[in-house]
Amino acid sequence: MSAAVKKVFDDYRVLSDEALQPEKPRVKEFLAAMKKSLQRDNWTFWLPYVLSLEACMKCGTCGEVCPVYQASGRKEIYHPVYRADMLRKIYKRYFTWPGRLFPALVGAEDLTEEKLNALAENVYRCTVCRRCAVACPMAVDNGVIVREARKILDAIGIAPEELKENGTAKQLQAGNAPGINTAAFLDMVEFLEEEIREARGYEVKIPVDKEGAEYLLMHNAGDYLAFAETVMGAAEIMHAAGADWTLNSPQTGINDAVNYGVFYSDAEFARIIKAQVETVKRLGARVLVVGECGHAFEAFKYLILRLIPEKERPFEIKSILELIDQWIKEGRLKLDPQKNPEPVTFHDSCKLGRLGGMYEEPRRILKAACADFREMSPNREMNLCCGGGSGFAIMEKGNFLEFHMETYGKLKAEQLKATGASIVACACSNCKAQFREIIRYHKLPMRYAGVSELVANALVR
Amino acid sequence: MEWWRHFVAAVLPYFSLAFFVAGLLYRVLYWSRAPKHLHWELFPYPHTLGEQLKEMLTEVFTLKSLFLHNRRAWLPSLTMHWGIYLLVVWPFLVLAGLPLAAPAGKAGGVLALAGSLLLLCYRLARSEVRRLSAPVEYLNLLFIFALALSGLQSGFLGDAGAVRSYLLGLARFTPEQPPAGYLAPVLLAELFLIYVPLSRMAHFAAKFFTYHKVKWGELHR
Ligand code: SF4
Ligand code: SF4
Repeated sequence: MSAAVKKVFDDYRVLSDEALQPEKPRVKEFLAAMKKSLQRDNWTFWLPYVLSLEACMKCGTCGEVCPVYQASGRKEIYHPVYRADMLRKIYKRYFTWPGRLFPALVGAEDLTEEKLNALAENVYRCTVCRRCAVACPMAVDNGVIVREARKILDAIGIAPEELKENGTAKQLQAGNAPGINTAAFLDMVEFLEEEIREARGYEVKIPVDKEGAEYLLMHNAGDYLAFAETVMGAAEIMHAAGADWTLNSPQTGINDAVNYGVFYSDAEFARIIKAQVETVKRLGARVLVVGECGHAFEAFKYLILRLIPEKERPFEIKSILELIDQWIKEGRLKLDPQKNPEPVTFHDSCKLGRLGGMYEEPRRILKAACADFREMSPNREMNLCCGGGSGFAIMEKGNFLEFHMETYGKLKAEQLKATGASIVACACSNCKAQFREIIRYHKLPMRYAGVSELVANALVR
Repeated sequence: MEWWRHFVAAVLPYFSLAFFVAGLLYRVLYWSRAPKHLHWELFPYPHTLGEQLKEMLTEVFTLKSLFLHNRRAWLPSLTMHWGIYLLVVWPFLVLAGLPLAAPAGKAGGVLALAGSLLLLCYRLARSEVRRLSAPVEYLNLLFIFALALSGLQSGFLGDAGAVRSYLLGLARFTPEQPPAGYLAPVLLAELFLIYVPLSRMAHFAAKFFTYHKVKWGELHR
């Protein structure tokens, strides 16, 4: 971290000085925004939010399962309750009568500018993986408290550039968060077709902007730049299944499945998902296929349901995993697991697993596509977050990469090593970005791969 | 001092019970009027009523989450909770005139006493939990401890006959004076009834919502 950046919480800074404005008085604004957040108009997460503020018994169970807290050597400031209490103390002091009358007794505290700075940073030390909410006897959700705090902060202008200016804002303006224009996009697709031809020795046509195709496949647009194997794999699968499908370019609207609003803002979330829905309608696809992206799946499969009425989204939504699983079952895809002889393990992304219930599909797929599939432990709802969640994978300012490598990354590296696998498969871009760094940082003798990539490699033609 | 005895034995019982019911009702209504939030369930979760009941009852009677994820707190907490469960059914056993009433009351008192003491130790001895705790956390435990202690020490919890006639008097709206030594546990129980809806000890009600409305969602997959 450069010396110019002031220390406000720990040795890291996610929020730049421009975003945080640590010297500016913001307490009043914050309290006004928080007051709003507690009203029922803020309906999107009102019940889980208010219940979580009220019901914590301070039993400490969440800390026993939180990857950041555990990996940090149980540093108090990274305890889930310590973080949630930063907001809860304000809630009690300003919005409950016991807190107004007996602040010391119930642990209510005045908000100061310093505390605001620390809170703003600490809500970006938790990936909202919700592992603690699975374990909590009260089902208190420290993740939802973190997310609501991020919302309040965004409402007063405090949000990481990666998620806002270079995230949601850019996606709305350019069609995708990396800012790839149509000409560049078409070039890339052509390049990928050539790559497949060279690698496999046969032609796979990748349709773009085809109106009325049955399947519109929307990837996390970052995959075109960083994880092209996943994009190619998906194209080969679509081709092998004989599907009527298409990708779309930014000239049709949004061609990026991501929605960083999931991480910090309902308003941004709604803007993006509405624009995405409009794009799908414009192209007239029957099924929107969400590529390998965890939070995009959560957004399209669940968060959308009460936000956009059913009749305004006249298409089905499926994860590419559901589709592959179905096609294998139907015999539409033929796989030879011997083509992937190396030991493969699978990482349950929080957004696909705990938040999406997608546990069995990827396992069935990988068992059909790989000769030696191994579970990592723990897995499914108790799997450890890799540390790329809630936008961390693209947040590497200063030494923040070190934060997610030394905490989440450290535990994940140990977990990966214990499997003895040489490939870790996953179906989420954020996880892949995190795995790329974990493997490098912790010098693991393995590689990561998208599920589509492994399936494509096992195709029998 | 007669008016004071009368107040504790004959007035406060009705007030505290009414306050308890109204307070809890208010809380439950407050939560049940919540707008429907975005889907935010955690997978996997029980789908049918039977599965949900099974999971809820397992959690209530075995404190499975603590057993799995925070073993240190499990036995102290289980002890206290079983004590409380027994103390909650105890007045009904007394009213029903079951011979089980006195042993159940005494056992409930002993378990609640031991459990709250063990939990106090857990809270004080685990430095990380101690640092997370506000004074009110200790107050809650001390309250339960004091209630159990006075119930046991005065003999109230074991005296099914006297308690039965006192409770029957209350139920018929012709309250009698209990033996003088029982005023302390009666008063503490009344204060406890008033305190619960105001405090986090209403968590058993909150838990219904955190599980049924949030964690378990409504989707069937
Ligand atoms: S496990 Fe739940 S109730 Fe216990 S301290 Fe953590 S959030 Fe609070
Ligand atoms: S959501 Fe995950 S990272 Fe955040 S406090 Fe809970 S377990 Fe820790």
